[in-house]
Amino acid sequence: MTKKEIFVNAAFRENSVWRQILGICSALAVTNLMLNSLILGLGVIFTLTLANFTISLIRNWTPRSVRMMIQTLIIASYVIIVDIFLKANLPEISKQLGPYVGLIITNCILMGRAEAFASQNKPFDSMIDGIGAGLGYTLVLLVISFVRELFGFGSIFGLRILGDWWISWSIMVMAPSAFFLLALLIWAINTYYYKAKA
Amino acid sequence: MKDSFWYPIVFMLIMVVIFASILSVMYRFSQDKILRQERDSYQIAVLSTLASAISDYTGESTESIMAAYPESYERFVRSRDYPELDRESYQAEVDEEILAYCFEIRGKGLWGSMQALVSTTVDLRTILDFNIVNQHETPGLGARIEEDWFLSQFRDRLFVVNPDAEEDISQSYEFIAETQTPENERQLRRVTGATITSDSVIKMLRDEFNHIYKYFRNNEL
Repeated sequence: MTKKEIFVNAAFRENSVWRQILGICSALAVTNLMLNSLILGLGVIFTLTLANFTISLIRNWTPRSVRMMIQTLIIASYVIIVDIFLKANLPEISKQLGPYVGLIITNCILMGRAEAFASQNKPFDSMIDGIGAGLGYTLVLLVISFVRELFGFGSIFGLRILGDWWISWSIMVMAPSAFFLLALLIWAINTYYYKAKA
Repeated sequence: MKDSFWYPIVFMLIMVVIFASILSVMYRFSQDKILRQERDSYQIAVLSTLASAISDYTGESTESIMAAYPESYERFVRSRDYPELDRESYQAEVDEEILAYCFEIRGKGLWGSMQALVSTTVDLRTILDFNIVNQHETPGLGARIEEDWFLSQFRDRLFVVNPDAEEDISQSYEFIAETQTPENERQLRRVTGATITSDSVIKMLRDEFNHIYKYFRNNEL
């Protein structure tokens, strides 16, 4: 596979959310605001890229029996590094990211890509896979949060778009709307992309 | 070699030592900066909570008071230690005259503890300002208690008449939907989708405010 194919595969064709149904918990939890989704997405891209690279780098020496513990250790370490860096240098962003740190560590996509790709491929390819999978995940979060924030608050990235005449849809702010929207997104992509292609 | 009994154990130990060392070194070098950031952030929150009282007395705008941090903090804010009250306490002071008190209050939210700063008049009955400094509520839902429209509802609000009186005013406040307009001064707008968190905020204020008021009254302060 070429580098481009690895990226396109990870980000779109085999997208972790709509194709593999991974990372759903956080996709449901944080998508009522676009800024929160973007911050979580950036955290996941950073962690996924470096974790994939490191896991791939040591793959030939990693015993199979402890590989998942090693992967968890690496993922958790990178998340803590991000957290310390933000607390020391960007405290305002750290305050916003705070609740999501735990979510990044437990995000199934990180373990999924580590197991399915990084532990069997070269470091640079794994890095590209990490960037692709992270961007694909962020794209889904932003699409869902765009609809939820627009109809739920009348704003995009906190900026008021719809005027005072707009009556916010409370359901969009609450968790059930994320279930409906994610299901609609998966249905649309399956129908208009995968089935049409088949 | 990878299949031997000891290899996985030794490998795991080496990895733990490497990553724990990286994290320890990184934390050690960032620790002072993180603590300084946290202290500044807390002091700014205290100054912000007392700023309106200082502004009313001195005539300086709240913006200029905030912009002059840390000098304005040193100039106007004094830390107080009240034994048995068990909380951070401050007072705004100009020419040895106490303008307002500020207390750290704590309560239980939906997912964890909440921490806030509340400033009061010197008779401890009216809330002057109120800021949430730490909370673990759902982002986009309960976490919206930090938004100004919600917090401003508590500003300049009588909260304690007398805890022993038949009518406890703090019990008379009721929440209405966020989209509704309050019809009287006892109605407050709750955050949509965060009923428990909104209720927790008023419970925290009620419990802590009454506790502080009783402490001052019993100790004749």
